[in-house]
Amino acid sequence: MKKLLLATVALSTGLCAQAAFADITVYSAGPASLIEKLSTGFTAETGIKVDVFQATTGKVMARLEAEAANPVADVVISASWGTATSMAADGKLLAYTSPNAEMVPDFLKTDYAVAQGISALAIAWNPTSGLPKPTDWADLTTAEYKDMVTLPDPTKSGSMFELVSALDGVIGAQIFDALAANGAIVAGANADALNPVLQGAKGAVFGAVDYISMAAAAKGETVEVIFPTSGAVVAPRPAMILQSSAQPEEAKQFIDYMLSEEGQAMVAATFLMPARTDIEAKRPRINELTLLDFDAEAAYGARAETLDAFAKSFGN
Amino acid sequence: MRRQGGAPQGLLTALAAVLLTVIVAAPFLFIALQAIFPKIGAGSLAAPFSAMADVLSAGRLPRATLNTLIMGVGTVIVSALIAVPLAAIRALYRLPGAALWDVIFLVPFMIPPYIATLSWVMTGQPRGYLEQLTGQNIAGLLFSVPGIVIILALHCFPVVYFALSRSFAAIGGRFADVSRVFGAGPLRAFLRVTLPLALPGLAASLILVFAMAIEEYGTPAVLGTRIGFRVLVTGIDEAIGDWPVDLPGASTLALVLVAMATAAYLAQRRLLARGGFETTGSRPLQADRRPLGRATLPALLLFGAVALVSTGIPLLAVLATALAKTISGGLAPENLGLQNFTAVLATSTTARSALLTSLGLGLVAALLTGLLGAFAAFVVLRTRARGRFYVDLLAALPNAAPGVVVALGMILLWNQPWWPITPYNTLSILVLAYVLLLLPQPVRYTTAALQQIAPSLDAAARVSGASELTMARRILLPLIGPHLLVAMLLVFVVAARELVASLLILPVGHQTIATFIWRQFDQGSVGLGMAMAFVTICLTTLLPLVVLIAARRTEDIG
Repeated sequence: MKKLLLATVALSTGLCAQAAFADITVYSAGPASLIEKLSTGFTAETGIKVDVFQATTGKVMARLEAEAANPVADVVISASWGTATSMAADGKLLAYTSPNAEMVPDFLKTDYAVAQGISALAIAWNPTSGLPKPTDWADLTTAEYKDMVTLPDPTKSGSMFELVSALDGVIGAQIFDALAANGAIVAGANADALNPVLQGAKGAVFGAVDYISMAAAAKGETVEVIFPTSGAVVAPRPAMILQSSAQPEEAKQFIDYMLSEEGQAMVAATFLMPARTDIEAKRPRINELTLLDFDAEAAYGARAETLDAFAKSFGN
Repeated sequence: MRRQGGAPQGLLTALAAVLLTVIVAAPFLFIALQAIFPKIGAGSLAAPFSAMADVLSAGRLPRATLNTLIMGVGTVIVSALIAVPLAAIRALYRLPGAALWDVIFLVPFMIPPYIATLSWVMTGQPRGYLEQLTGQNIAGLLFSVPGIVIILALHCFPVVYFALSRSFAAIGGRFADVSRVFGAGPLRAFLRVTLPLALPGLAASLILVFAMAIEEYGTPAVLGTRIGFRVLVTGIDEAIGDWPVDLPGASTLALVLVAMATAAYLAQRRLLARGGFETTGSRPLQADRRPLGRATLPALLLFGAVALVSTGIPLLAVLATALAKTISGGLAPENLGLQNFTAVLATSTTARSALLTSLGLGLVAALLTGLLGAFAAFVVLRTRARGRFYVDLLAALPNAAPGVVVALGMILLWNQPWWPITPYNTLSILVLAYVLLLLPQPVRYTTAALQQIAPSLDAAARVSGASELTMARRILLPLIGPHLLVAMLLVFVVAARELVASLLILPVGHQTIATFIWRQFDQGSVGLGMAMAFVTICLTTLLPLVVLIAARRTEDIG
């Protein structure tokens, strides 16, 4: 009995103590495999251990907010550039410009944030669906696509939020009313929206994060990424250091590693566009894509309204 | 006779009261405070009740409450429709392979509903496995409120089946025979005698099903969000888990959910306290079972159909998805491979560490919950200190604590800036949550065991000069040991697969089995998630079999 008690006490103190050994803590939006590889590589190079919390942008931001009084994270990587803008405005970020950021174009870095990589929001289409190949966003509101379209949930997917605000600004929110009227469903985070399309239950994802679909296609899934003729939306993924970080120097080293040739090659391997222009991409880059023209700053200011309007379109 | 009476008893009671206050009462208190004072996180008591008004005026609360009730009541009805005929046949007739069917019907209870739901989606949606095999899909039913209810009922019905087949056997064996002697036909004897006498037991098990259904997260989260069917649990999860966070709103929804769970628990306790005929007297009489005759085949078909739908199809879908190389490749033989199992068991460090973390957490949670539960039961039944009523109350409180509420309580209590050290963001927060969630199991089992041990044994020990603690250790613990072991195994199994609380308070840098599976669906590889699910189901099904064998042994002791 005594032994049992002792063992339990030892186990629980062990559990408590575990958190203390980690050197830096990174909160990152998906893909999980990328942040795992970056952390392993970083630890191998510097000996600094990394604790990772990986979730959707919505959950990463919710956790930061819930922990506002007891901040834990040192580095945050989200899938939505607007999060960096608003956190910088709130004074929550530490200014840092990495020496490795030289080859990152100016629009992908500020004093407080630098892109890890860039995804584009497009259409993912299953060629075996028997449905006509869509060429533009509006094609998914036609009768042929009735009940055959999924959308990622912008409250969860940071990049999808960028697309919703862009389309609201350029075409107007009525495109979402039309999608809802056509039986499109909002299906959780990005992979949630893609899975039914892979199995064939649905024909296309409206607002698919392109690199996820490209990686699926490379694995042998039948799915094709289509960049709409009226324009796709790119979502740079900001990496930032929190002002509250207790180990800012180690956090800066992590950013440096992420922007190193080795780190950027890992980014490129996931089919994201690497932030550095001198690293080879496995897919079309920004200058090869037609982009929707919209005012990101203005769109971001209205986050709550944008999400409310989106939810209303889908009857929630 | 040195230390008889007051001091040690008072000390033990005080210790139990303090432990339960910190572990059980404090999280609930913080939820209530947050619901009433929305700005309490910033240290202000301003604008009391304003958040409640906001939640009410937004129409979220009434709708989520109504939907939760629909889900709970619907699951109760469907569970009863499945379980009552099965239990009647099992208890009153000589069913071929009766013991085997009992084991088979344990399995759906061991498949976590979120896994069953995900496998039904893969099976039933257009071009899913069912359509690939038969050309038909059941998407219309699946993505609907009845679909949610049926999936939950297929998970919950064993509770009713096991409770009812036991009481039917006891009653049918005695009273129905009497009525048949007086000329009643078999159906009339069942409807007029057996069923009415079994009603209290039936009602109690159905209320338990209701309580299980209203706190379920995975099924409404997967199916409900597609059709705009939001319940209290998913509402709380969204308010805590998605940006922007709304803690006062989450707390208000949580209070409603706790009220519903409390009402269900109290109703169930009252029904069980009144006692049915099945609880008095001896064990079910085996000899009185009648042959099924020409009804044997239809009865077996019925049992087989329920087993297929509740166990077979979900398990096969899990396996098919785990073995598939690509999702779009479907069920073709050349699309099958073991790569996902290799990943889970060997190559993926995340998957392996998730497995180890869950097993370790389950073990620690089982030991701590068992010790605390046994301690609380001992204080309530064997001491006379005044505080024991308080201990009794606190030990029962977790019965009204769904996982999502426990997680919210943990966040509100332990994520305060003024704690000098806090378990928040370490694995111990999960242990605390599991202890709170599962405390009723060891309390229930050890209470039952302690009630069977005559207090004269305590007295004999004390007369012989043993202290309170020596007596507990040398006399009571060996006697309640087997019961406690069963309870701890149950805690282990449930804790090792717990989903919603783990998702919400998962410490940085860790994954559990359930969060790993869930995240694979959310933003990773479905096949990897299903391979992990299959491994988990094997674990959580084999262990309860151990529980069952252990339970057989304890029956002999009792």
